[in-house]
Amino acid sequence: MSVGEKHYWKSVAQRQGVREEPPAPGVSRRGFLEAAGFTVSLAALGGCQRAPVREALPYVAQPEGARPGRPLRFATTCGGCPAGCGLLATVRDGRPLKMEGLPEHPLSRGGLCAVGQALPLGLYDSQRLTAPRQNGQPATWPEVDAAIRDQLARTAARGGRVRVVTPTITSPTLRHAIDQFLKQFPDGRQITFDPLGGSAILAAHEQTHGRRVLPRYRLDRARVIVSLDADFLGAWYSPVEHTVGWRQGRTLPLRAGGHAADATHEPGGKGDGQHAAGPESPHDPGPIDLAYHVQFESRMTLTGSNADRRYVVHPSVISAVAAWLWQRVLGVRPAGAPPGDAAQLDALAQRLRDSQGQALVLCGSHDVATQVIVNRLNDALGAYGQTLDLDAPSRQRQDNAADLAALVADLKAGRIAGLIVAGVDLTYYLPPDEALDAALENVPLTIAIGEHLGDFAGRARFVCPDQHPLESWLDAEPVAGLFSIRQPTISPLADTRSALESFAAWSGRAASALELVQAYWREQVFPRPQAPGEFQAFWDRAVQDGFVDLTAEVPRTEPVRRSADQPRTPLPAASDELTLVLHPTAAIPDARHAHNPWLQELPDPITKVTWDNFAAISPRLAEQQGLAQDDVVQITVAGGSLELPVCIQPGQHERVVAVALNYGVPGTQRFAKVGPQWFQARPTVGAGGRVGVNAAPLVALTSGGIAYVRGGVQLKPTGRRQRLATTQLHDLLEVPAATRPPGSEARQALVQETTLAEYRRDPTAGAPHAHHFDGQLWPDDHPSEGHRWGMVIDLNRCSGCSACLIACQSENNVPVVGRDEVQRHREMHWIRIDRYYAGDEAEPEVVHQPMLCQHCAHAPCETVCPVLATVHSREGLNQQVYNRCVGTRYCANNCPYKVRRFNWFDYAHDDTLQNLALNPDVTVRMRGIMEKCSFCVQRIQEGKIEARRRGIAVADGAIQAACQQSCPGDAIVFGDLNDPASRVAQAMRDARRFTVLEELNVRPSVGYLRKVRNEG
Amino acid sequence: MSSPLRPPLIAGHKSLADVTRDICTPLEGRPSSWWWAGLAVSASMLLVGLVSVGYQIAWGIGTWGLNKTVGWGFDITNFVFWIGIGHAGTLISAVLFLFRQQWRTSVNRAAEAMTLFAVMCAGIFPLIHMGRPWLFFWFAPYPNARGPLWINFKSPLVWDFFAISTYFLVSALFWYFGLLPDLATLRDRAVGWRKKLCGVLCLGWNGSARTWHRYETVYLLLAGLATPLVFSVHTIVSMDFATSVIPGWHTTIFPPYFVAGAIFSGLAMVLTLMLIARKTMRLEAYLTARHVDAMCQLMLAMGCLVGLAYGTEFFLAFYSGNPYEQFVFLNRAAGPLAWAYWTMVTCNVLVPQVLWLKAARRNFALVFAVSILVNVGMWFERFVIIVTSLHRDYLPSSWATYVPTLIELTTLVGSFGLFFTCFLLFCRFVPVIAMAEVKGVLDVGHETRREDAVVTGEAA
Repeated sequence: MSVGEKHYWKSVAQRQGVREEPPAPGVSRRGFLEAAGFTVSLAALGGCQRAPVREALPYVAQPEGARPGRPLRFATTCGGCPAGCGLLATVRDGRPLKMEGLPEHPLSRGGLCAVGQALPLGLYDSQRLTAPRQNGQPATWPEVDAAIRDQLARTAARGGRVRVVTPTITSPTLRHAIDQFLKQFPDGRQITFDPLGGSAILAAHEQTHGRRVLPRYRLDRARVIVSLDADFLGAWYSPVEHTVGWRQGRTLPLRAGGHAADATHEPGGKGDGQHAAGPESPHDPGPIDLAYHVQFESRMTLTGSNADRRYVVHPSVISAVAAWLWQRVLGVRPAGAPPGDAAQLDALAQRLRDSQGQALVLCGSHDVATQVIVNRLNDALGAYGQTLDLDAPSRQRQDNAADLAALVADLKAGRIAGLIVAGVDLTYYLPPDEALDAALENVPLTIAIGEHLGDFAGRARFVCPDQHPLESWLDAEPVAGLFSIRQPTISPLADTRSALESFAAWSGRAASALELVQAYWREQVFPRPQAPGEFQAFWDRAVQDGFVDLTAEVPRTEPVRRSADQPRTPLPAASDELTLVLHPTAAIPDARHAHNPWLQELPDPITKVTWDNFAAISPRLAEQQGLAQDDVVQITVAGGSLELPVCIQPGQHERVVAVALNYGVPGTQRFAKVGPQWFQARPTVGAGGRVGVNAAPLVALTSGGIAYVRGGVQLKPTGRRQRLATTQLHDLLEVPAATRPPGSEARQALVQETTLAEYRRDPTAGAPHAHHFDGQLWPDDHPSEGHRWGMVIDLNRCSGCSACLIACQSENNVPVVGRDEVQRHREMHWIRIDRYYAGDEAEPEVVHQPMLCQHCAHAPCETVCPVLATVHSREGLNQQVYNRCVGTRYCANNCPYKVRRFNWFDYAHDDTLQNLALNPDVTVRMRGIMEKCSFCVQRIQEGKIEARRRGIAVADGAIQAACQQSCPGDAIVFGDLNDPASRVAQAMRDARRFTVLEELNVRPSVGYLRKVRNEG
Repeated sequence: MSSPLRPPLIAGHKSLADVTRDICTPLEGRPSSWWWAGLAVSASMLLVGLVSVGYQIAWGIGTWGLNKTVGWGFDITNFVFWIGIGHAGTLISAVLFLFRQQWRTSVNRAAEAMTLFAVMCAGIFPLIHMGRPWLFFWFAPYPNARGPLWINFKSPLVWDFFAISTYFLVSALFWYFGLLPDLATLRDRAVGWRKKLCGVLCLGWNGSARTWHRYETVYLLLAGLATPLVFSVHTIVSMDFATSVIPGWHTTIFPPYFVAGAIFSGLAMVLTLMLIARKTMRLEAYLTARHVDAMCQLMLAMGCLVGLAYGTEFFLAFYSGNPYEQFVFLNRAAGPLAWAYWTMVTCNVLVPQVLWLKAARRNFALVFAVSILVNVGMWFERFVIIVTSLHRDYLPSSWATYVPTLIELTTLVGSFGLFFTCFLLFCRFVPVIAMAEVKGVLDVGHETRREDAVVTGEAA
């Protein structure tokens, strides 16, 4: 047999010639395969559909570092208000999604307020202007530019007056562009109009120091802070910067207090006294001191709620207080009666005197004479050069109230040939005036530059849409010498053009914003002494860092001038009459933010009201007038009247009525149907069709500017009620006597606090009673060897500003539910700030306590979920598994902290532009699903993956929760409790640390540091 | 067979044939106008309920008045209310059977039917109160490829699932088996398709001694199986609250408290139905004052237990020194929902006390009114327990109000509609009284019974 013919046998049987068994009867193999193949191919063909064709274009020139799904972060500058905080914009796949503070920024130090956090919704706003308009009709840029240039040329030839009205512009490039623009006209001026601006302070410094300047307030250097009606933490010029400074004075060094690092993880059964009653041998904690903050104000502001000592005074008394303090500091016996308790005022003056160079007096009055006195007081305290910086002064307010009055007079007299209003809705802020309305009709050229169609834009001949700060190039100089870059993070979404480019185009020097900013920097910023090297490198560095700090080379300040007294703007005297105080809110500092639903639904930090403004009155006034919360009253002053619901505000002066501005903004009719539209849904807008009511009819326009404090106010009940949508109905930690069990503590120990004197004696002061912990009965359910995530919140540094709420909402796709749902107690914020009053209703003490999921080790929610939709992770997180939740809501019932949020409806996501703001890393929940704080688990995962990718351990501080990252007060610390060197583990060991509802033994992973008030 | 020394349970010297005729005749003729009227009302209530539930499932739980603080309101109140009502039926059928209380024979069929319908009504609520009710089957531990992912056996809601389904199954079986001889009777009387249907349903009953023997054995076994359910099911339902940490819920008194309350409300509902049925279906001879009297005494006993439980709760709150617990009770009595609390106390503790008087127990109008008020009171008891404990718990910042919406009210109305519709259909198609068992307690063959010992169906 040849090799090719060798036969191999398969089996012995074959070798032996045994025949193989015949195949089983029935379906043959071939038949089966045929049938199966046929069936399968039929099924495949039947299931085939033509997939929808989508275009997918790869990058031709891929941006450096851009990888799909991985975020890029760009340093830019926030444009929410003129404070100019550094912004770090997180961009995914070409969309900016999440704003953070820029950690290295000298002013904001990584903090970012609620308005900055809400920027993405302002960008993805489908009601922004998308194209220019001419005479009410959409037009194109070339048409509009041609028409405007034509008009401008004619105006210049005729020598007509041209006025450009803007809010404070901190951008030197834009100011320069406007200056260049105005040079075309023989009589062209820029008028800066800031609603509730700083004109009084500027004018006062002009008197005392020879220049119109707003000082930079260095709260970080102040040990004694006296604020006369200045809400510097809430809504006054630069809240983030001020909070960053203020927190320096509220920080207490950590002192070990005999706690285990992990409140959740006490070792079971050892009973080794880990929770000792007193402090262990304290490692020398250094001097234990707090800054001392006193507030004089007429209504309860965020700042006042955080003060160590708060005096409720009438607005007209502020001046007298300043004068008294000044004279006492100088050692002079003041004439006249003291504007309060003489002993206390004298003690305060003494304290100020003892803190030479470390004291600071701030004043929010709009009266120039008062501000002059305050300047003199600060000078006597040696504040200038120390806590008040005029060397590198603030540029955040540059308005001049007198200019506005002159403008209105000019308009009514028909002397204005061209009026350009950019960035502020001028007529919205002025009281209704038919003469002015008629006059505006007759102005030959009116141009409105802005993002929305506001009141003025509705009447302007030309409307030129401005770009959102996130989509345009600009720069900023919030403080002299500190230059920052605003770079776009997305191409402009519509046919808009930044104001900078518009002014340049109308000056005949059309160029892109980038070119203009670079040109200015090359000529003006780069040549400054400190700027090193080549311009391109300098520029690239500036864009990458976000800012350039050239503050060190500004000339020294001049000493105080003794000048004649200024005639004072008359303030209503304290009398039996009521005084009206108009003020901005922290959430909506100017009218364009009224279009932002996140900010509208943000509960006001003090009143916790959403979606509305109201007339705040004190409990005593309410009693006298027979008014209750939600009653609608008519407020009448000379020149206007309004109807608003009443909100009872403890701690407000008895004769003061406070109303917030920036409501009733044109265009907010869009919110009428925000929220699920079921058959019993109520609209989110008020009776006037808008959100809230515009309080402008209540202001008075005088020759000295706009008066925001009015006397002679009448309140008249209308008999109607309008329920305010507030997220917190009950404010007291003290149980009412009627329902207080006999012998129980009057005040619940949910928020613990103490005074500085007691804290110095005993670092555990303020604890309700000493804990003796004898170990757990049960073995630990959740041992962890790897990470164990935990959080500590310092109640001393939390000001209650609520930036964390919006940060969380932005990061985690938390829906907006609308006013009706908030009224039904269904707001969705995962973190909330509980605000409690204690003590006397007229002068209460206030405390803010952020409350979020405590990620309890013995979570009551985990045991009761029937379908295991909430479970505990090995790293200490209480996890909510969205796709498993069937919505029985037992977990929410069983949560003692009530931090769980249920999706009662499918919250609409019809606005596809707004949906671009959704974070793709976080599921959007459907109705019927429970959700809650997850400790930003997506960030934890991202951080761990990144660390593993690099082959390193996760560093402390590398993973930041959204709330933590945004907090201007740096009150939230988050990290790995299993790492004894981490900030959070150290904070957990601190003597001040307590957990809320400790006695329930749910073992929260969130600790709070007791609030220490500088008293006693 | 009952003893000749005792007054007869059934009035009017009924013979065996009388019993069959009295009870089967309403099923065979045309229904009375009372029945049609009742059906019209209950069917329209049911329709209203169906529309409401449909709307709510289409839109979401937001159509109810619940919120982030009060996660359960009318939904679980109604659930516990209906489940509680069901317990009396099983008590009468099973427990009183084991205790050989022969007066139960007139009532047990209707009571057990009431249990079935009450459990059905109750079962709707856990289903519709879910945020995603189409995923209800996730409550069942079926093998799957997700791990496998089971359910949380530690959760009282899972225990509820097993308890309610077991309860329904056992009650249905028990009721059905008890029906077998009566279905056979119907079959024997019927013609045509009705005969065939009843023949199938009675499982070929042939009346032999062996059949009877087996029947009675099974009946005894099922009674034995159902008896612990009377205590366990509502105990488990009470664990929905007792195992939580919320003050006002976290208390060990709940299991006996709930069971007593359940029997209390169930007896009230049985009385309500009985007093109507005996008049409209002319069954006065079978549902006599003695039956009413016995049930009133049971109801009074349960009412006193419930009152004792209220007092114990208050005492425990005071004695515990727990400020949250103390606050809950003070809030119940003096807070914004105090009106509900005092309604509950009046209806559950004060109103039934009138039943100490024999004259009151004989006054059927009064008994009817008391039974209605007891059910109102028991509904409010569940409402108070659920809503007042939730709306003001530990953190004052979360305190909220609860206002039911129209949808919730109409859903409650709809549940009553379902209950009464089912009950009316039951009255129309199924013998309302257990003929076979009643025949067993007739004094057939005892002509020497004392005349004056006969207690008629009328009030003395």
